[in-house]
Order: sequence, then C-alpha cells, then structure tokens
Amino acid sequence: MHLPSLPLEAFRPRWSEPGRYVVVDRLQVLTASEEAFAAGVRVGMRRGGVGMLCPDAVLLEHDAAKESAAVDAVALSLLQYTPEVALAEEASLLLDVSASLRFFGGARALCRRVRESVLALGFTPQIGMAPTAQGAWLLARAPARTMAGGAGIRQRRVLRIDTLSRRLDALPCTLLPALRPFREWLEGIGCRSCGDLRKLPRAGLKRRTNPAALDALERAYGEATELLEWVQAPETFCAKLELPDRIEHAEAVLFAARRLLLQMTGWLVARQRAIACFVLALEHERGRQAIAPTLLEIKLAEAAWREDHLTRLLKERLGRLVLQAPVIALRLEAAQTEAMAPPTESLFPEPGGTPADRKRLLELLTARLGEDNVLVPAPHAAHRPEEANRWLPATLPRRPAPACPPPLARPFWLLAAPIELIMRDQRPFYGSPLRIVSAMERVECGWESDTLVMRNYFVAQGEEEAFYWIYRERDGEDVRWYLHGLFA
Amino acid sequence: MSASLLRIPIQDAGGEAGRPAQAAGLPTEQLANVWRADQLGSWQSAAIPSGHGALDRELPNGGWPTAALTELMLQQSGIGEMRLLQPAFSRIAKHRPIALVQPPYLPQAAAWVAWRLPAEQLLWIRTSRAVDALWAAEQILRNGSCGALVLWQTHIRHESLRRLHLAAQASDMLFWLLRPLAAAQDASPAPLRLCLRPAAGGIAAKILKRRGPQREGSLFLPLGFAPALRFVQKGSHHAPVDRRAPAVAAARSVSPALV
Repeated sequence: MHLPSLPLEAFRPRWSEPGRYVVVDRLQVLTASEEAFAAGVRVGMRRGGVGMLCPDAVLLEHDAAKESAAVDAVALSLLQYTPEVALAEEASLLLDVSASLRFFGGARALCRRVRESVLALGFTPQIGMAPTAQGAWLLARAPARTMAGGAGIRQRRVLRIDTLSRRLDALPCTLLPALRPFREWLEGIGCRSCGDLRKLPRAGLKRRTNPAALDALERAYGEATELLEWVQAPETFCAKLELPDRIEHAEAVLFAARRLLLQMTGWLVARQRAIACFVLALEHERGRQAIAPTLLEIKLAEAAWREDHLTRLLKERLGRLVLQAPVIALRLEAAQTEAMAPPTESLFPEPGGTPADRKRLLELLTARLGEDNVLVPAPHAAHRPEEANRWLPATLPRRPAPACPPPLARPFWLLAAPIELIMRDQRPFYGSPLRIVSAMERVECGWESDTLVMRNYFVAQGEEEAFYWIYRERDGEDVRWYLHGLFA
Repeated sequence: MSASLLRIPIQDAGGEAGRPAQAAGLPTEQLANVWRADQLGSWQSAAIPSGHGALDRELPNGGWPTAALTELMLQQSGIGEMRLLQPAFSRIAKHRPIALVQPPYLPQAAAWVAWRLPAEQLLWIRTSRAVDALWAAEQILRNGSCGALVLWQTHIRHESLRRLHLAAQASDMLFWLLRPLAAAQDASPAPLRLCLRPAAGGIAAKILKRRGPQREGSLFLPLGFAPALRFVQKGSHHAPVDRRAPAVAAARSVSPALV
C-alpha cells in the first residue's frame, strides 16, 4: 500500500477543514491540497511561484519525522488484518495477507476493509495486490494513467504470477528508486519499461547501473526470495495525536479519537488482548497558560476489541462532555487489558441475542445516561421499604442473588418521598376518601441509629377502586397518614 | 407486495363469502389472504397471550403483538397496569430481561419477586429528559436483547411515535407505551391502542384501535392478584383489635451494654 499524499496528510488528515495548503521541501513544492491544485499550484514549482499564484496558501515545511510517525500509526492499525506488516521505502507499507484472505471473505472484501480503515485514519491509500511483495509495491506505486486499460483500482490487483509479469512488463522501469539516477541513460538507449530492461544483457546492466535495482526486479518477478522485517507491536499502548486545528466542540473530537481507536484496535488484535478500560486525555493549552488535560476514562463491563463498539461508547461519552477550553492534542492510553476471548458461534442463534449483546446495550445506555440511571434490583434485607428497595448500576459485577425475603403485599410503585395525606371526616383523603381494606403491618426499626421509624402500613382503596399503600406514623398522640405506594 | 399485506375490506351484502372477492378479480388461492372487515385481523408477527381470556379473544392472533407499538392510555398511574401486564412479563422473564424506561415512580423489586419473577431480569432506566428516554427506548429496540420494553411518556410528538413504531417493527420485542388518557384524542401509528380505567376487582379496558372491527363498550378484566383481599383472607386469623402500642423506644435510649 502506498500513501501518495502522505506529506500533506501528515499535517492535514482527510477529516480536517479543507483549505489551500502547500507542502514544500526547501524550495520546491512537494504536494498540495486539492484547493491549491485548483488554484494552479503544481508539483515541482518554486516557493516564490506559489506566493504569486495564491497568496493565501499556507506553506508547510516537509517534516520527515511526522511522516514516519504517521506511517507507524497506519502500520499499527493494519495489524488487525494480518500480523505481518512491514514498512517499505517511499511512504509505503507491505502486508502479507495470504493467511487472512479466507477470514475476511476474499481479496476484494479485505481490500475494501483496509481502504476504509486507512481512510478513517485520515490518509488516502493506493493499494496494489500481487503474489510478490516487490510486485505489489510496484503496482501500488505506479501512477494511475500508465496502467493498462486506463485508470482504476481493478488493474492494481493481480493474483497469478504470469499475469503479474505481463502487468509489470508494461510499467516504467524508473519506478524503482535505485534506477532513477540513470533515467537519462536508460531513455537514451530506448529502455523505458521493465520489460525492456529485462531483455538487456544482465552482466552489462549490473556493471553500468545499480545492482540493487536488478535484485529488486528479480524479487518483483518472483525469481528471488524476499526477506522482510515485520513490524512488532509494542508492549504497552499509548498513542498521541496533535490536532491540525483547535477543536472547541466535544463531538468534533470524535474524528480524531477514531484514528487513535483504530490504532488501538490494531494493537489489541496483534497482541491478542481485549480492552477493559481506556483513558482518553484531551490536552488543552500548554506553556505559560497551561490547563490540565481533561481525562475521559471509559470502563467496559466486558472486555472488547471491536472498533465500532468502542467508537459508539466514546461518541455517547463525548456527547455529554462540555469542553472547558479548546483541545489541541489527544492521547489515548490502554489502561487495562485482558486476554481476548473469541466468540463461540452456536449453531442456533438465541432469540434474545448473546449475553455479549446484552452487555453492549448496558454499556451504551450507561455511556449516555450515566451509571446511576441504568439500574438493576439488588434487594436488601431491611424492614424499611425504601431501604429494602435498593437498586445498583447494571454494569457493576453481579453478586449472587441474596436469599429473597418471603413475598409480602408490596405495591409495585413506591413513592420517592411519602406524601402526607389530608384528613377528612377522620379518614385519610387522596383524591377521594380512602377505605382501609387490609390488616395492619407494623414496621418499627432503626432505633439503633438515629433513623427511628414506627409505621403501621395498610392497604387502602379509593372510591375509583385503585389500591394505595398508606401508613400511619405512630409518633405521640397525633395521627398522621402518609401515602407510600401504589399497587399498579 | 407480499400477499399477506393485502387488506381489502369487502362489503359482504348477504352473499357467499367467496363471491365478492371473485368479483374483484382475485385468484382463488389468494382468498385466504383477504381480510374481511367484520373479522379480526392478524399480526404478521407472533403474539404473546396476555393471560386474560377476555382480552385475548378481542385481540388479533389472541395476544399482545410482538414487533409493534402498543399504546396503553391510563387514567392515572397505579390503577393496576402492571398487574395487567404481569402474565406476559412472567412468560418473557424466563428467558429475556424486561426494561422499564422512565417509570413515574420507583419500581419496587419486592413486588416483582412476590409475583415469582426473577429480580435480575428487571432493568430500570431513569432519565431526566424525554429525549434521553426516547433514545434509550430506540437503542433497546435496536439491540433486541430485552424481551419487553415499557416506556412512560406524557407528551410525545407524532414523528417520535412513528420512529418508535419503526424501531419496534424491526425487533421481536413486546413494546408498550404508557400515556395519559388525554392522548386518546390524538392520532397514532400504533396498531393497537387501549384505554385503561380502574374498576372494582380489576380493570376496565376499552379497545380504541385494533386490526378488526370497532368494539363498542369496555372489557372488564379481573386482576388475579388483588393485594388487599388476599392479605385480609390469609393474614388475619384474628380480628384486628385497635390497641395502644407498647411504650415508644426513643432513639439511643437503650444503652448498648444492656442490649
């Protein structure tokens, strides 16, 4: 895979604001954004010429360190498709996908997924596929117009070695970096394509040009073995991203955070881990007016490694967040990981979805509504109904259910605070006079702490036939009635 | 268009059942799919028996429809609406959880346990804004891991109702929307709408809308669990005597050494 506009996209990822940006290497234009090309900027132009054509263009100095960091980030996130990813010359990556084709549903589906991932990272990929790594590199690197049969990605994908040799024969031989110094000499002897080059006597070429070029050509045609150094995933994950612009809305952080999440997904898959807790730090102003970064800790009830689920969780959390200051950088850290437990596929799917689906739902609801608003019952052995009716966050690890108290006449609805009832004709009144229809249930407890309650509970019925749960407070001589529940 | 979607009301003016349909030019094998306006319609999805025979006889397919929005309009909360749904709950709670979104009061797990339903299958979602409640309901319907969803809303816009109904159609869950009685005046995309009022020993349900002919008058549904009556019969072997309570123990009046 080749990243043709890496010098620009290292500064301005695809999701950043469009504008006229030109990347210059010392004096010459290296690449530019689409808006700048439309204004007349061309590759190879002088710095002064750009100033003449579009004075409002932003000139960015070519930064090799930033580019290599970007390629590393892409390599890390592509580890989710194959463990064998290698860095190649000229902003390219080599992926050995022969073992992954069947898992991802064939070459075309895999190419589509790799392309989507790289686009989400903010880079434009140019993907070539061939039985040899050097051949795939040449196909990915070739400019679109020289491809046989016109432009299009279909021509960059070759699965058989004889088709590959035909395709490579038509490519210009100066695509190989080792042959570029000899461009004029090769044109002088009428040798333009790789096919022409292979027809020339080998010994003479080796003496007159770079021997490395001939080795590369042999590797491309599958005549020599290839040795590649695969990228190793680091022990711990902590990725940082400097944002191209200051971001003032929490939702806009998501695009940038998605890039970090993709990197983390690649890292998790490569190390066969699943994430249980991760921290996203939003960094604000540094230096003299430094503001401490906002930390966003996301805990998962069940460790996950799927990027779409993590993105949804983060989206809901960011939706709730109000930024105190503009964000200039993001840092993502994998705080806690577990060994990955791959899903077991059952022959007959359950109607209610898997337990993992249920966990995902609870996590999603918790991410938006907060932990205290997604609750499951945790009955507590207590006499006071408001204490016995205890609810706990659904994402907490469940303890085994305690021995349930014997079923008592309890209403389904409990009032958060009891309502004091007015009295009419010596009877409690709530909409209509209430008639007591049950025996008394006495609740008297709390003397050991300062919360003594002495209540006599009754079931009462109003004139419209609904049942109410009321109590009389035994406190001295005056009688006070309260409504505490409704039998729904 | 699938044949099951074909619903042509046919006026049967005393003739044989098949004749008007043949007059409409329908092939004989399609006649089974023709719905006649004097019959009950049917759901395209499965129905779960409501546990109340009188209600089941009046509902198409004999039960609460899954994959559809069902509206229950209450005179007020706490008139027996949960006891009405309880037989359906006990069928679902064996396998799948039941979510309550924005209930009007605190649900009490002891009552749930007293109905012999597993407490761990109950999920209470508390929201402060109606937007959050609608979002939560839609996510639960989309996820499909719950077996039933009960949503309380006072004011709900027509677009939101349509959206919820669409989400419900894509799921296989039971979905009840509980609204105040005043909402009965408004139009709704829900295929089943019931008005509920309290009645002596049960609940009075009026079917406002269903797939089938209009039903005049309301149904009386006895609710099996009448808390007060059971409590009086089982709990009182002796007549209640109003006696003075023993001396009141004030807080911290007993020294710990004596206890």
